[in-house]
Amino acid sequence: MKNYLKYITLPFLIILIYLINPVNLFLIGNEMTFLFVVILCFVVEFFIEKANNGEPIYMRPIAAIKAMEEAVGRATEMGKPVLYVPGISSLDQIDTISGLTILGHVAGMTAEYEAKLHVPVCVPIVMETAKETCKESYLKKGRPDLYRKDMVHYVTDDQFAYAAGVNGIMLRDKPAAVFFQGKFYAESLILAETGNSIGAIQIAGTGSSSQIPFFVTACDYTLIGEEFYAASAYLSGSPEMLGSIKGQDYVKVGCMILIIFVFVFSLLDGYGIIDFDITKLFRTNVVK
Amino acid sequence: MKRQIAYFLVIFIGFLTLLGHFVNYPTLNNFIDNDATQWFDIIAAFAAFLGVINLLQLHLNKIVYKRKNWNYSIVTLGGFFIMIFFGFVFNGSSVSLGAHLKEEGSAFFWMFQNVYLPLGATMFALLAFFVASASYRAFKIRNFEATLLLISGVLLMIGRVPIGQLIPWWMSLEIYICLFFAIIASRIKNKKYLFYSLFITMICLPILIFSLGLNSLYIFKIPEIQEWIMDVPATAGSRAIMIGIALGTIAQSYRIITGRERSILGD
Repeated sequence: MKNYLKYITLPFLIILIYLINPVNLFLIGNEMTFLFVVILCFVVEFFIEKANNGEPIYMRPIAAIKAMEEAVGRATEMGKPVLYVPGISSLDQIDTISGLTILGHVAGMTAEYEAKLHVPVCVPIVMETAKETCKESYLKKGRPDLYRKDMVHYVTDDQFAYAAGVNGIMLRDKPAAVFFQGKFYAESLILAETGNSIGAIQIAGTGSSSQIPFFVTACDYTLIGEEFYAASAYLSGSPEMLGSIKGQDYVKVGCMILIIFVFVFSLLDGYGIIDFDITKLFRTNVVK
Repeated sequence: MKRQIAYFLVIFIGFLTLLGHFVNYPTLNNFIDNDATQWFDIIAAFAAFLGVINLLQLHLNKIVYKRKNWNYSIVTLGGFFIMIFFGFVFNGSSVSLGAHLKEEGSAFFWMFQNVYLPLGATMFALLAFFVASASYRAFKIRNFEATLLLISGVLLMIGRVPIGQLIPWWMSLEIYICLFFAIIASRIKNKKYLFYSLFITMICLPILIFSLGLNSLYIFKIPEIQEWIMDVPATAGSRAIMIGIALGTIAQSYRIITGRERSILGD
């Protein structure tokens, strides 16, 4: 218990210092953002330590993540390539970074199964990162001989030209497994429907909430919302990574409770039982 | 050592960026808002050259060694060199090179307007057909969720077009009856019985509703129903996903800037 006491005292102290704001050190207006970031970080850290101490962590099975290895296995059996599409955004988007972390695991699987991997990329800087990711994964699996320089290649920066290029690759190479993991916009359905037409097993994952319905419709499996960000941690299987997902889930429970709390307060305020608009607390107004 | 430097940079810049959002230190705020993004743009601009080199290497190799589908590479390289030619060599207008990219009479502008844009628009237009095929699959009545999707899809489609405003209450009721029978159709084996039930319901229920004076109910106005679907269940669902995405983003960022998430570096 003593070990875990720091997870209560430390965030409390940090938040207190922030609220006191000595010598005008902190920006005024985003206290609530700071509060939630600190709470989330410490809850995640708490569960990471618990997991490191050997406490068993139960993870809800996620079909899309379980299907990743099956998809690569299927491609190997069929002697067809695996196509990995990391989205059309650059590295300044967390979705692209998440897509690349999942690519690391998928590349590890293709190295293990000796399946052919194909990664067409839309942004040159993502291409360089994806190349390094694949190279390291093949090296880690002890199969640097299987890594090809043209495995990850640049297509174009333009959204629809890229979609046309990837569609062409799909129709010509007929990959058995297609992964869409990253940031997608209007091209998502064009890509997913083409993948569907060639009969490939498709696994999608994105943080673009407007594209999720398209992927759900056209793909076999979809990582929705936070599942996409948790996929890499889930695939790694390491206790500290799984602990971080557990912590994230607890914060989600906290959010649910908070939503109910705010709902009840708003209702009371609306009916004039109390005179306090709780939603004002959640409006950020950063003054720099 | 090379990898340790990469980890250090990720952790250092990550925490610095995070601090920039909360600490009142103009130099740091300026660095996060302006300098860091400019640095990123500069690195990305250099990477563009790598992209071009990669494209040329890949397609030239394909053509030289006559690999599978090598003829498509000729088209790709042809397009690439033609645009390079019009962008850097041939102007075709009275303005200087560089400014000609946005000059209406220039060859580059003509190519952009008459080749590049129509091709992009064609790809975008394909989306309409893909939406139709995807909707057909999604709207097939397979299970409860697909049925819900079908019902809300039909209501949204009718409610969002001008003719939806003109639909009288009894027609809305007939649509609801048809949808209800579409749901229960698979459970009723005797199709004759199903048909008679549908027929009788379609005649009797509107009369009953009218005689009870319930025909002005909100539920019979399809545009209002679609507005409600968009404002309440759709918004609630998308906000739930957005909250999940926000939490996932913070947790993922935390894992990366504390050096725990190393898959991006192949670990």
